[in-house]
Amino acid sequence: MTAQFNRGAVSMHGRAWAANRVRLVSSNPLSTFGAIVLTLIAVIALIAPILPLLPPDATDPTNRLIRPFIGNHFLGTDQLGRDILARLVWGTRLSLAVGLSATCVSAIIGSTIGISAGYFGGLVDSLLMRAIDMLMAFPYVLLALTIVAALGPGLFNALIAVAIVNVPFFARNVRGAALGIAHREFIDAARLSGKGNFSILISEVFPNVLPIVVVTMSTTIGWMILETAGLSFLGLGSQPPQADLGSMLGEGRKLLLNAPYSSAIPGAIVFLLVMAVNLLGDGIRDALDPRLHSGAASQPAPVTSIARRQSHDNADRHQGILEVSGLSTEFRGAHEAYKAVNSVSFAIRKGECLGLVGESGSGKSVTALSLLALVQSPPGIITDGAVWFRGEDLLSKNASALRFIRGGRVSYIFQDPQSTLHPLFTIGEQVAEAIRVHQRIARGAAWKKAVQLLDTVRIPNARHRARSYPHELSGGMRQRVGIAMALANGPEVLIADEPTTALDVTVQAQVLRLLDELRRQNDTAVLFITHDFGVASEICDRIAVMYAGQIVELGTTEDVLEHPAHPYTRRLIDCVPALGSGRRVFETIRGMAPATNRLPSGCAFADRCDFATAECAAEPIALLEIDGDHVARCLHPLGVAS
Amino acid sequence: MSVAMSGLAPQGRTAMRRIMLRLATALFAVGAISNGGSVFAGTPPKVLIVGQIAEPKSLDPAAVTAVNDFRILMNLYDGLVRYKDGALEVEPALAKSWKISSDGLAYTFALRPGVKFHDGSDFAADTVKFNFDRMLDEKSPYHDTGPFPLSFFFSAIKEVKVIDSLTVEFDLKEPYAPFLSNLAYPTGLIVSPEAIKKFGKDIGRHPSGTGPFVFKEWESNSKVVLERNPTYWDGAPKLEAVVFRPITDANTRVAEMLSGGIDLMVEVPPDALAQFKDGAQYQIYQQSGPHVWFLILNAKEPPFNDKRMRQAVNYAVNKKAIAENILQGTAQVAAGPTPPAFAWAYDDTLQPYPYDPTKAKELIKASGYDGKELTFYVTEGGSGMLDPVPMGTAIQADLAAVGLKVKIETYEWNTFLGKVNPGLEGKANLAEMAWMTNDPDTLPYLALRTAAWPDKQGFNSGYYSNPDVDKLLEEARKSTDQAERATLYKKMQEIVHDDAPWLFVANWKQNAIATVAVKNFKLQPSFFLLLHDVTKG
Amino acid sequence: MLNYIVKRLLALVPILLGLSLIVFLIMALIPGDPALAILGSYATPDSLASLRVELGLDRSLPMQYFIWLGNIVHGDFGRSYSLNRPVLDEIVERFGATLILSATAFILCTVWGVLAGIASAARQHTWADRIVTISVLIGISVPSFWLGLLLILLFAVHLQWLPVSGMYEVYGGGGFFDLLRHLILPAVTLSVVATGVIARLTRASMLEVLRQDYIRTARAKGVGEGSVIFRHAFKIALVNVVPVLGVQAGFVLGGAVYIETVFQWPGIGQMLVSAISTRDVLLIQGGVLVVAASYVFFNLLADVIQHVVDPRVGI
Repeated sequence: MTAQFNRGAVSMHGRAWAANRVRLVSSNPLSTFGAIVLTLIAVIALIAPILPLLPPDATDPTNRLIRPFIGNHFLGTDQLGRDILARLVWGTRLSLAVGLSATCVSAIIGSTIGISAGYFGGLVDSLLMRAIDMLMAFPYVLLALTIVAALGPGLFNALIAVAIVNVPFFARNVRGAALGIAHREFIDAARLSGKGNFSILISEVFPNVLPIVVVTMSTTIGWMILETAGLSFLGLGSQPPQADLGSMLGEGRKLLLNAPYSSAIPGAIVFLLVMAVNLLGDGIRDALDPRLHSGAASQPAPVTSIARRQSHDNADRHQGILEVSGLSTEFRGAHEAYKAVNSVSFAIRKGECLGLVGESGSGKSVTALSLLALVQSPPGIITDGAVWFRGEDLLSKNASALRFIRGGRVSYIFQDPQSTLHPLFTIGEQVAEAIRVHQRIARGAAWKKAVQLLDTVRIPNARHRARSYPHELSGGMRQRVGIAMALANGPEVLIADEPTTALDVTVQAQVLRLLDELRRQNDTAVLFITHDFGVASEICDRIAVMYAGQIVELGTTEDVLEHPAHPYTRRLIDCVPALGSGRRVFETIRGMAPATNRLPSGCAFADRCDFATAECAAEPIALLEIDGDHVARCLHPLGVAS
Repeated sequence: MSVAMSGLAPQGRTAMRRIMLRLATALFAVGAISNGGSVFAGTPPKVLIVGQIAEPKSLDPAAVTAVNDFRILMNLYDGLVRYKDGALEVEPALAKSWKISSDGLAYTFALRPGVKFHDGSDFAADTVKFNFDRMLDEKSPYHDTGPFPLSFFFSAIKEVKVIDSLTVEFDLKEPYAPFLSNLAYPTGLIVSPEAIKKFGKDIGRHPSGTGPFVFKEWESNSKVVLERNPTYWDGAPKLEAVVFRPITDANTRVAEMLSGGIDLMVEVPPDALAQFKDGAQYQIYQQSGPHVWFLILNAKEPPFNDKRMRQAVNYAVNKKAIAENILQGTAQVAAGPTPPAFAWAYDDTLQPYPYDPTKAKELIKASGYDGKELTFYVTEGGSGMLDPVPMGTAIQADLAAVGLKVKIETYEWNTFLGKVNPGLEGKANLAEMAWMTNDPDTLPYLALRTAAWPDKQGFNSGYYSNPDVDKLLEEARKSTDQAERATLYKKMQEIVHDDAPWLFVANWKQNAIATVAVKNFKLQPSFFLLLHDVTKG
Repeated sequence: MLNYIVKRLLALVPILLGLSLIVFLIMALIPGDPALAILGSYATPDSLASLRVELGLDRSLPMQYFIWLGNIVHGDFGRSYSLNRPVLDEIVERFGATLILSATAFILCTVWGVLAGIASAARQHTWADRIVTISVLIGISVPSFWLGLLLILLFAVHLQWLPVSGMYEVYGGGGFFDLLRHLILPAVTLSVVATGVIARLTRASMLEVLRQDYIRTARAKGVGEGSVIFRHAFKIALVNVVPVLGVQAGFVLGGAVYIETVFQWPGIGQMLVSAISTRDVLLIQGGVLVVAASYVFFNLLADVIQHVVDPRVGI
């Protein structure tokens, strides 16, 4: 679906990739805030030696526990009379350094283990993972405590303890990533080319797991700062007079009741630090998520956003049960707009089957989804057009009115039922749900009806099969379930989006026959989307050909197939190999379809067309009549003298 | 941007609302529960709830060493003698009277008749013998109910003889002046032999003594409950019960006191005292005790093998600041090795080393200190260690101010002991230490004699040696005349003060806080918590 | 399924063995020993030596380990050096308390975390989402020991609504409501961090699921948004969240240590911490084994639940 606008998007490498990521992070307000706070703290910590601070270790017991903002101790003094502000700054420096170091140590050890386990697999994997499991099963605080007790207190030892305790996270995550890569083709290729294991690990595996490592680091660095603070809090971390945030918290712990600020202040800094790190980490994680750069990070709204440029009213000219006029849909990415559908118009009469044919990326599926505002939004927006169903514009209805129509009067059959059926409900439940949403009947009655429907679509042993899960059925059967769900409420319009594409040829034939039968029985109008002319010719009364988001030809099946007017249509028909015609050269169309974010102003097919002239590329071309109802968007249509 | 449809349509919103409502109801219920039931901010009448600093180790008096445990034990058991109220001198308890032979080798006790243990068995001379045999005689069948860390207090005993059912005689190997005082110490408390026979190794969790309170239950890390003994030989206590609650976190303990969850709290952190200055609700108690906090100086190796250096550090540290500021007045500056709580043996003409950094620097220069970095062992905790880390840090700073570079190594208490007790040679130059004892003999005898060096089973980890001191201590130990002993100890204190084998710092003034409802309570110089006379309400 | 459970339970054995070995080794590395802890300041080399013989500490380390192993097989966890009572007795008492605390905290964090995650995903980019996101962030960034003390100050000392510490009232207490009152503050403090983790995960999971094709199918069928979120999306999102719940259960169990100290909750965490300082190897062994076994058990439970919820997950 949204593969739409990956096509043609310029792929980025190296620096451009990194720059893009940075931009993504900075456009996220929360993570920017985190980055700013973190930088501020880090800078202050770094320049500590040159700041005009009082000596952090100078004790002055007669001046102990002075409150903040009085006198010359800006944040007051602690229980030994030492200046809190100075200790805070130096302590943050230390805590940051330790947190970072611990994270790096943990990352290095954990990643090594993870990569080895994932890459070598087998016994190595088993052993390493058992060891990691054991480490995880050990209560983490206890592990840290025993390590420090064994090594003796001291910030360095606390660092080691915390690093070791967090190794399992890296190991597990990196192992997962390495496992995914270990059997990929490029690794096999590298092996075949004679590269040794070690060099493969360094040059191929490691760069690919790096994002995971970075993501895990950003997740765990906050924890490590907290855990080191916790150990210092227990007195096992930094030693006097050295201060880190944790030991300041620990020393202030005894004074919690009468001098709360001595622990509140370092506590607040720890909190701020960890929060900033987490915010920034989130931003980094989102930036490294490949889905974000397409602007599709948010959850889709139940109804596509509609922002139409012109208003449309219920005026004249209503042919057919479903009429679409001037429908335009875009996908707004981070910086570009991808025009998937450009001013598409067609009409379907009652009982008629209209085929929408085109290559992948031509915009046919998006068109179909736009009819009921089901396009994923964000990033999709319907920018123009109207969809008239029985005289009412669907696109101006509110969500609940739309819901009334969806699945009731107008329903969908989707392609690839593996992903379009809910994996955790039985097929019977799913069909029954389709029924109950639109009809007020009891569960039992709905179930019976569902079984009947499954029977109608020729699912053998329907009563028994209704209790199966989608993954237990074959592709063909799943598709039938999809059809059953669509027919549940006797719709007047059926939109079938490539219902046979994912099926074997024989099964395809069965499903097509079924569809055709049902359609004739119930007098249902069908919009049949496909890329296969052969299939379209079997079942459709009329055919519309789409290219680059526009309809380029529209007419009866016979007309379009036997007298194609648009050069694209001609080439498309030629591409279908005919059985039994002997050896011949496979026809292809040279060049590629234009990127939907860089559509030319004139004919979109011009640069691939053998008959293009200068005027073709000049201005947008309207649908010109070829012969009666047969229209084509071409200045030099085939078979017509121009 | 556009007419974005709301993310959650009516059904979703209603579902959310329903859940929120349910949660709010739950919270309400919690609120109702928390204010229902008993009046929260108060404890049951006639029951004293005491906040302790740690979970007790065992209720077998022969097996424990910590003051924390003593506090409970002194209310469960009696000894042959006990300390007088407010003093560290002994008076009769389970023994009515006693006679000491002229050579100081035989102590004969006349026992109180008609006393029974909590389990109903009779207290008599054979029960006394049973207790000491258990502790001291390896061949005793109940010796395996140990270990008995403080049994060396009675190492002078040769034999315990039962003369008749109410008379028992202790024969000593040599005269031992502290003997009576040691009998008053928890190690000398008498446990019911019937209970020991019945419970064997588990006697620590099923105590049975003759004391004013009877053991009711012990819930690990929650409470130890004692109930009054109505037939106590010295008069039944007024309290119905006493509950000891171990609350290890000091803040939580203070919070419990502030919220009325406990009635009595001991060892209040110095800084928290300020919270309780409100006299209308709380009473503060303070009592100086037989406690010394000091630094052991390694007298075997440079630089502290030179007396001038040892004196120098005594001048360099601002002890008053430590006692008054860091410890908030809960301790007083120590002059020498004997705490003033031993009033009869304390040399009150002795002045503590004043804070004099200039003098310190002079002495350091005179001794020819080579500027080497000194190692200072500091501990994180431990019985009687007060606030060891801040105190150590302050000392380090004071020493730095006179040009001594000191590196601190902090260890958890157990590890610390493991490093210090075997001797500081080759490891450290200074180490914190604190002792609480019951007799002016104990600490010097164990920690200052030449014969008490670590290789000879003693605790003289600093390798101090002065034959004069040795002689004085041996003599004082043998004499049974208190006045004579006093003179000897005073002489010893002067010598030790001058020799400065230790950096003398402070004597702890133990404190406690109670609500105003608690009456008749007094802190004892022995640091025991005696609740027999306490009333509430 | 039964096979799977049995296999997993059997796999527990080598893990526990390995753990016990680790504990023994670490304790061997720590300076000091139980004898020193018992004798404390009065430990002379002689008394230490004889005590060690008494406690069986004079035997070589491998010997000690094997003796311990032999006893374990008979269900004898040994006798604690520092507490002078059977380790099993102590652990049973303590573990029950920790279990109550952890279970309550866990339920709290699961319920709150999941609800917050759903709310935040469903109402993405609205104020509800931002509040939840920020609360979650605060939750995972704040030191739990500090938070506990602050809550005590507020609710127990200032407002006096709830007790400061302990599990029951010490005299005349007991009963369900008494327990509940004492449970609130520690359970809430303990659950704060885990709530955050679960909320974030649920949110991410929900967002992921809501992008899927079958959600679009549901909408195309005309199913209402409430049903889409709670019935269709949540069921699958839960499948991704359940395994993490297992890990979080482990964290809650481990994090109980700080909380038990601050709230004087008589649980196993506190027991283990003090056992380290008294070098009580047997106690630590018993405690660690019990905690580790629980952790593995919770993960197993999570796996089983996941299989029940999602029939696709083959086991």
